[in-house]
Amino acid sequence: MAHVTDQGRIRNFCIVAHIDHGKSTLADRMLELTHAVPDREMRDQYLDSMDLERERGITIKAQAVRLAHESHGTRYVLNLIDTPGHVDFTYEVSRSLAACEGAILLVDAAQGIEAQTLANFHLARDAGLVIVPTVNKIDLPQADPDEAARELAELIGSDVDNVLRVSAKSGEGVPGLLDAVIARVPPPDGSRDMPLRALIFDSMFDPYRGVVAYVRVEEGSLPSRAKVRLMAVGLDVEAEEAGVLAPHPTPVAELAAGEVGYLMTGVKDVRQAQVGDTITLAGKKRAHEPLPGYREPKPMVWSGMFPAEGGDYGDLRDALDKLKLSDAALHYEPETSRALGFGFRCGFLGLLHMDIVKERLEREFDLELIATAPNVEFHVIRGGAVTVVHNPSEMPVPGTYDRIEEPVVLATIITPKEYLGPVMDLCQSRRGELVDMRYLSPERAEIHYLLPLAEIIFDYFDQLKSRSRGYASLDYEHWGYVEAALVRVDVLLHGEPVDAFSSVVHREKAYQYGRQMVERLRELIPRQLFDVAIQAAIGSRIVARETVKAKRKDVLAKCYGGDVTRKRKLLEQQRKGKARMRRVGKVDVPQEAFIQALRVDRRAESKR
Amino acid sequence: MTAGMYVHVPFCLTRCGYCDFNAYAGLGHLAGRYVDALRHEAELWAPSWTGERFVSIFVGGGTPTTLDASALSGLLDAIRSRFEVAPDAEVTVEANPDTVDEAKHTALLASGVTRLSMGAQSFDPTVLVSLERVHSPESVRRAYSAARAAGFSNVNLDLIYGANGETLESWRRTLEETISLGPEHISAYALTIEPTAPLGRKVAAGLAPPPDPDLQADMFELACELLGAAGYAHYEVSNWARAGFECLHNLGYWQRRPYLGLGAGAHSFRGERRWWNVRPPDRYLAEVEAGRLPVGGEERLTPDQERFEQVFLRLRTFRGVPTTRDAAELVEAGLLVRSNGHLVPTERGMLVLNELVLALTA
Repeated sequence: MAHVTDQGRIRNFCIVAHIDHGKSTLADRMLELTHAVPDREMRDQYLDSMDLERERGITIKAQAVRLAHESHGTRYVLNLIDTPGHVDFTYEVSRSLAACEGAILLVDAAQGIEAQTLANFHLARDAGLVIVPTVNKIDLPQADPDEAARELAELIGSDVDNVLRVSAKSGEGVPGLLDAVIARVPPPDGSRDMPLRALIFDSMFDPYRGVVAYVRVEEGSLPSRAKVRLMAVGLDVEAEEAGVLAPHPTPVAELAAGEVGYLMTGVKDVRQAQVGDTITLAGKKRAHEPLPGYREPKPMVWSGMFPAEGGDYGDLRDALDKLKLSDAALHYEPETSRALGFGFRCGFLGLLHMDIVKERLEREFDLELIATAPNVEFHVIRGGAVTVVHNPSEMPVPGTYDRIEEPVVLATIITPKEYLGPVMDLCQSRRGELVDMRYLSPERAEIHYLLPLAEIIFDYFDQLKSRSRGYASLDYEHWGYVEAALVRVDVLLHGEPVDAFSSVVHREKAYQYGRQMVERLRELIPRQLFDVAIQAAIGSRIVARETVKAKRKDVLAKCYGGDVTRKRKLLEQQRKGKARMRRVGKVDVPQEAFIQALRVDRRAESKR
Repeated sequence: MTAGMYVHVPFCLTRCGYCDFNAYAGLGHLAGRYVDALRHEAELWAPSWTGERFVSIFVGGGTPTTLDASALSGLLDAIRSRFEVAPDAEVTVEANPDTVDEAKHTALLASGVTRLSMGAQSFDPTVLVSLERVHSPESVRRAYSAARAAGFSNVNLDLIYGANGETLESWRRTLEETISLGPEHISAYALTIEPTAPLGRKVAAGLAPPPDPDLQADMFELACELLGAAGYAHYEVSNWARAGFECLHNLGYWQRRPYLGLGAGAHSFRGERRWWNVRPPDRYLAEVEAGRLPVGGEERLTPDQERFEQVFLRLRTFRGVPTTRDAAELVEAGLLVRSNGHLVPTERGMLVLNELVLALTA
């Protein structure tokens, strides 16, 4: 078992960067340099261990690795805390940062500062971290390390000589970077004599061991086996084992103030050991105040999830029940749709989170799902009362409320100046409100917009990329709720409203949305025995209409003695195809029509 | 019990692009052996079909008239000697206009053929080219006159509508010309894209357009209108006849009477069993010449399948199916009519018969 380390020889830090600026590669080099992983075990992106994360090339679960490094004759313990890299998980990022004293702010020498560089920098600075500015990929042919260093120095208000230069790929400069982390990042300073307070900055669910909490001990000491209290939920549990990740889990006798490690809590549901919660000892030696900053995970985006085959409802419920054990941010409640039957209205941190959940449901639980178009959460205000609506079909009709408010985000966009026009046009067209703009360099501008969240959860990111030839970068943070002229647009098939197609959109875009939906559906709904009217309506007012003309011919021209068997099979196939359709009123709608009509461009909100 | 007999002749002068039948061009040299094999096969089946009275024989293909009249005549004699064939049985032979002349017609009549079914397909030369038919409208007229001159009093003309390039007007001319010839029976088929036929592969590859179902619907309606006005009764989806000239043999299929199929790939049906002969002519010959029944496969119908067949086959004809369930909505929609305790499709209903079948068997 490892011994408690002298606080002066501990450094807790993280690496923050824009996507593809080399964070994972730098972590790999650090693991190698400190011999944390035997050579034969080493593989690319070592720390991104979950299957799903590796495939998507992103990290959704923070992990902490303990690295041993000798600098100027002294052995140090470096705890590298990995942070999630997506705006959906900003809160988790903030908790990971709270576990550190310093952050390496990494910038690609060929790209310079990007939107998430800024976002991360602000988060790290607000968390009071010492920033170690670092330019990566200095060996790339198109690199301009001087310019990237200049931008970085200007951003953090430091001298350009303080910016380190590395190649995470070749390892050049990485030893010097570790030395700089030791020299610049202060050691932790929490008292080991105080009652225990340990921050949970991440947690994961292990089917065999239960919930594993990743903790930073701020004060006091966490023994390996102890009865501890999870302060937010007020639950006392027998912790089974404390340890450090080196990078494999290694038990320790205790984790003392300033140290980072894991705790096998023994609880079976991540909701009981949530990110941001404080662990103290149970009983008399407990702390009375939790660490600041705990927040319940709050869904921002909602979508109905329905089994493609109605009979799978029970399976879907079981799958969600299992999934929530490992995903504290997932919300769900039963929902009944006239069109899609029994399912669940699910709340997610964002679109990426929604995609991950849907993919896990389909892959890990072998379910085929229809997801309705995602929507944000609306506040309907009547008198002084606020009703929270997260299902468009529950949006009240106009005239029954005073106003509706929708969530707005503060978006940071960095773009080369030649694309400034198109980018700003895009933001205007998405009901954006320009906050400010400044030039990072003569060539690149940083702009801030207030944008309705609803406007960026569809194809905004795609549009931004295409209008800037891929050069613009985006980050955003939640800003607040703002009144907006929103209306519910319903879609009717043969006069019957289809709840799954209802959507809440801005009044000025209602016609366009309705038009688009009826046109899409006209292509997707097969001809029936009668004309099928497809209408979009706001209240009782029809704003768009298409017709699927009645099918006139569906007959086998010939059926003689030698044809009977084959034709019978053809008809049986046709019957099966019909059976897979959903019946809306009198209209048969293929599953595929729901999936296609509700499809959101999956690149809408991209990873970062 | 009454039964029908089907005899398959798999030889053609050329293959047409739309056709996925068990037919071959260039196998004419096998004709002699094949006719012998048919006679032999008839002998093999005869013991198990005693007690069945055959009221129809249908020699189809392929192109049966690629065979000599004497070969066909010998074949029919052999069948009559092995099976109980009604003296007034309907005996149909399919003919291609280019393979018949008056002498052949006379010989066919002499051998007991009572009905001639001729593949006219269209009277529009461009449509015939589009269908890859090698005959001309003129040869149809010539063959038809020859049949009449020889004394055939029951002639069918087969038509196909909806080929690439055919317009409603062209189809109207084909119908009018057909009516003016005055056959007793007319079969008019919507061109169907069979995935395994050369045309089907072309369509799948995007090299040919699929037929427009709405245009084919218009063509169907035009056929109903013109043929009806000319006194032809529309007694099955694709078949019209003057009173008393419905094809007895084909009615047997739709009424699920037993049938025995002879020849390569021919299907047979009796009781709850349906079976089919091996398809390739060489395998068929090998089996029969070795003294074995050339059966290549079979199915036994479950009661559900049997009920389903009852509906989807009977509903094709104007006799319809016995009313066993509520079909008010379809009747109201003008797709079915009630008649003598039966549900009968209207002409509009026939066009969407698959939907009706599925609705009535749901």
